[in-house]
Amino acid sequence: MSTETDQQAREQLIDLAAQFYDQFQLGEIPHMDVPTRTKSNIELDEDLGVWVYGDRTSRRSANSVAGARKLLKAVYTIEFLAHQLEENRSSTLRELYYISESWDNENAHFNDQDESNQLIEDLEIVSAVTREDFHMRPEESGATVLGPLHLLEQTRRGEREIHCQEDVGEGGYQIPNNPDTIEFLDHDAEFILAVETGGMRDRLVENGFDEDYGALIVHLGGQPARATRRIIKRLHDELEIPVTVFADGDPWSYRIYGSVAYGSIKSAHLSEYLATPEAQYIGIQPEDIVEYDLPTDPLSDSDTNALESELEDPRFQTDYWEEQIELQLEIEKKAEQQALASYGLDFVTDTYLPERLSAMGII
Amino acid sequence: MTSLQSTLGDEPGIAEELASNQRAISIAEFFEKNKHMLGFDSGARGLVTAVKEAVDNALDAAEEAGILPDIYVEIREEGDYYRLIVEDNGPGLTKESLPKVFGKLLYGSRFHRREQARGQQGIGISAAVLYSQLTSGKPAKITSRTQGAAQAEYFELIIDTDENEPEISVEKATRWDRPHGTRIDLEMEANMRARQQLHDYIKHTAVVNPHARLELREPQEHFKFERATDQLPEETEEIRPHPHGVELGTVIKMLNATDSHSVSGFLQNEFTRVGKKTAESVIDAFRDRHFGREMTWRPPAGHERSVSSAVTEATVNKGQEATAAFADGIDDDLSSRERVSHHELVAAVDASADAVEADTGTTFGTTVRENAVEAAWGATCGLEEEADDALEESRLVGDLYDLVDGATSTRKDDEVVHAFAVRLAGKFADEEDQRHRLTEKTLEAFVDRAAELTEEYDDVTFGETARENVVEAVWAVMVTVPDDPPLVRELADDRDGASDLVEGMRATDIMAPPTRCLSPISADLIEAGLRKEFDADFYAAATRDAGVSGGDPFVVEAGIAYGGELEAEGSANILRFANRVPLVYQRGACATTDVVKRIGWRNYGLDQPGGSGVPNGPVVIMVHVASTNVPFTSESKDAVANVPEIEDEIELAIREASRELKRYLNKRRSMQKRRQKQTVLGAILPEMATKVAEVTGNPEPNIDDAIARIMNNVLVERHVETNGDGQAVKLVVENHSSTNESLEITDIVTAEPTNLSDGASVVEMDGEWFVSWNPTVGGGEESALSYDVSSDAAFDVDVKGVESEKLTVTEN
Repeated sequence: MSTETDQQAREQLIDLAAQFYDQFQLGEIPHMDVPTRTKSNIELDEDLGVWVYGDRTSRRSANSVAGARKLLKAVYTIEFLAHQLEENRSSTLRELYYISESWDNENAHFNDQDESNQLIEDLEIVSAVTREDFHMRPEESGATVLGPLHLLEQTRRGEREIHCQEDVGEGGYQIPNNPDTIEFLDHDAEFILAVETGGMRDRLVENGFDEDYGALIVHLGGQPARATRRIIKRLHDELEIPVTVFADGDPWSYRIYGSVAYGSIKSAHLSEYLATPEAQYIGIQPEDIVEYDLPTDPLSDSDTNALESELEDPRFQTDYWEEQIELQLEIEKKAEQQALASYGLDFVTDTYLPERLSAMGII
Repeated sequence: MTSLQSTLGDEPGIAEELASNQRAISIAEFFEKNKHMLGFDSGARGLVTAVKEAVDNALDAAEEAGILPDIYVEIREEGDYYRLIVEDNGPGLTKESLPKVFGKLLYGSRFHRREQARGQQGIGISAAVLYSQLTSGKPAKITSRTQGAAQAEYFELIIDTDENEPEISVEKATRWDRPHGTRIDLEMEANMRARQQLHDYIKHTAVVNPHARLELREPQEHFKFERATDQLPEETEEIRPHPHGVELGTVIKMLNATDSHSVSGFLQNEFTRVGKKTAESVIDAFRDRHFGREMTWRPPAGHERSVSSAVTEATVNKGQEATAAFADGIDDDLSSRERVSHHELVAAVDASADAVEADTGTTFGTTVRENAVEAAWGATCGLEEEADDALEESRLVGDLYDLVDGATSTRKDDEVVHAFAVRLAGKFADEEDQRHRLTEKTLEAFVDRAAELTEEYDDVTFGETARENVVEAVWAVMVTVPDDPPLVRELADDRDGASDLVEGMRATDIMAPPTRCLSPISADLIEAGLRKEFDADFYAAATRDAGVSGGDPFVVEAGIAYGGELEAEGSANILRFANRVPLVYQRGACATTDVVKRIGWRNYGLDQPGGSGVPNGPVVIMVHVASTNVPFTSESKDAVANVPEIEDEIELAIREASRELKRYLNKRRSMQKRRQKQTVLGAILPEMATKVAEVTGNPEPNIDDAIARIMNNVLVERHVETNGDGQAVKLVVENHSSTNESLEITDIVTAEPTNLSDGASVVEMDGEWFVSWNPTVGGGEESALSYDVSSDAAFDVDVKGVESEKLTVTEN
């Protein structure tokens, strides 16, 4: 761990507290401005090709009782994080919520974990330090990687060299919370295949898809954790491996793809660090539902609403997505990855993926 | 203001009733029979009523003499009886007026008096005297001292119940500590079960009479109500009655009493708002009712020359030339008219006759003229022939047909309309008065009869509406007759005629009566009265402009008190007043209560279960109705009747006062929120400041400015700097709100300040210097006071003009 980074993170936090101090001294109402974290306030950064926050900001100000409480909690949290960095400890987001209960001031206790999570996001944005650098971990662990990749991980018990096919079991290599502690040594991968569901991941592993096609299979596990997105980003940028995403054929899965490729609304301040705009979507596409005549479920009202809101989402304003989403709204159907099994257990590895990957020019 | 000496029984309704009854039975018997309606139905209530009458009269007496009333009421238990003593500081009474005032039940019936007076309430003190005498058998003991009199006089007074005549049984000089005034001492069968009502009455009287000092001593308790103002109520002027507000009996009495001979003079002299023109309109309306109107008919067209030939035929011995000129003159006149009535025809004949007389020298005597009128009228009506079918063909039928056809619905068959017109024409033809002069009633009877016959013979309906429309249409073409109205003395003996006059007055549009006869309490004094008797946080009052109901002007006022020590549990306390007299009984029957119940009090920030009814909470709602004739629900005068005009004004007055209440309650709520916010922020921000200082390793920051800014507060901050031997003091006012704030700042300094900045002044008192400074600081701006003072001086600043919730004062 670089204590230099820790020192820098700590200073950034103290600067933030100093800002409140100065505001008091000037007779101003203490406040901090953070970018508004809504869909309407994210825009495409032309240079990076990812989505970042726009100019609109929200002010957290002490001029209301709720606002004052928020800032009080922020100051207490700053103090806690500064200590944590000093002592080279780390904690999880959930732990932070409970730790606040031990603070001597009742007004500084968090009401729920959403509040503490949101505050950490605020602090990340305002101080331009990622929460990983604050030594804050998410509760859930990062996802797994399986495939021809050789790496070196810095652990508390020293350096470990791991080959993600040979040194791991069928479960694959567990991505650490801060993937920046990993150094890539070597690889033999043709492409990265990020898979939404665990069932499909296991199917691909069982069918030996990683070995047959040189695929690095990354399990996304629903909305991907930051660590997962970060490692995909690093694999793509550092090893120049193309990235593909394989998910269900419904609006929620498109969002998973969106957050891998363009960044998520809540962490748009980190898009540059997390998003891989070159990532490509394999499927299931609405087009596939028609073409492969897959077994389907009808769209629910919330599905329809989600699709319609995606049409408004700046991340999906491309010809490809507009076409696909409009098609889906027209057929009013959705399909899961597992629907491919209706043509046999090997259909996905023998037919569907090779067809899609070659159509996309990956293999 | 009217006085005690003159207002007794000032109430025409009862006075008349009493007077008529009195002939048959003794006054005592009458009283016994009617005591419920006079407010003496029980011993408990009798006492309250007696107090009420005595106090009302005492107030009136003092006010009329321009004296601030000072009234003492005492109730003592005396064996089986109660003794009521009421003393006032009025002008006192002479021996001559005294028996009439206290003794005679009907004294002072100046029936046409139109002025706001308490005496209008109840039957008067004489009823209390009689009640006392009937129940205890003892005389009324009266002490009176006129202003400047060397000594007081003492009387005992008994009413001879057979004769309704008061008698003074004892009379002697006595000593009395009051320089002037009257004391009445009555013994009566009574009890104190209505103690609450008694207290309410006295307390409420104090509210609406802030200029009076009242004292009540009863067996258990003793209250004093001091004055809130030294201002006497404005004197009212008596006005003559308004034509819309008088009744037949009153008018007959006025006709008997007036000095005028003509009705026009009578109307102008005896009534308010009646000038020559209005009198003419009233008289026209009277004529229509008294004499009826004359029907007008369409005259025959000029070229028919039927009038001319009829007149020629009827005129004899006047020479051909003169006759022709006479007849043509009439014909020309008539044919130039749309319609003509009998009296117009008479005028036309006279005009033509006079013209021809002037031209030719031929004399047209009365007989000739009468004949000519008859002939011409016959020609106009087309009834000159005696044939059986003459009617069917007559001009009347055609004329009436057009009128009826225009007035009834188009669905009526032509034949039916024609048949009806024939029958109606028949009624006119049969009318004895060939001038076709009818009252509206007679016309209605004609139309009804014709309609009934039509329904019977033609088997069609001729309904109410159709009949009314026909009456209206025909009445509209009939004209008022020029007959002179009877003289006043004739009308005075003619009940029907007088009734026609009253109806005529009611039917005429007349300007509303003047309001100088009213003496509202005024919003300021209502507020002062409420303040005096109720310890509340908020007071508001409103006085409406005068309105008119039934010819009597009235003014409604309302007051509201809220919060403070008022009873928070249960519903609002409603105080009702009429002409400054509290109404304590029959709350539920009163228009005031009804109006309070139907107002949506939730809009005004009060709790009102179910959204209607009397609101709950620490509220007093006061309503005062002042009028020359307050309409009561009953003779006992406890409740204002539900007269729409008055109810509307009561509602508007209450709403006006309540708007201020709403503002107050809203503000109170926002201040409460502000206090809460300030309390919470007052805890959080220092904690935040402490933490920030800890984290950054700095000393604790000053957060007063930040808090003042957050609260949009006004911050008064003292800066002191050492300046040579002394110190330079600066008081800075920062206004963080968005509105202007005017402050009154007093800085008390223990040494003499020098170099005072502009706008401030200093006064020394007992070794302390009071620096006063009244800056107005705009929203977001600041202003400063500065001075120099020796280094050992101490300061103490006092800031007014800003709510304490909005003010932050820091002394360094």
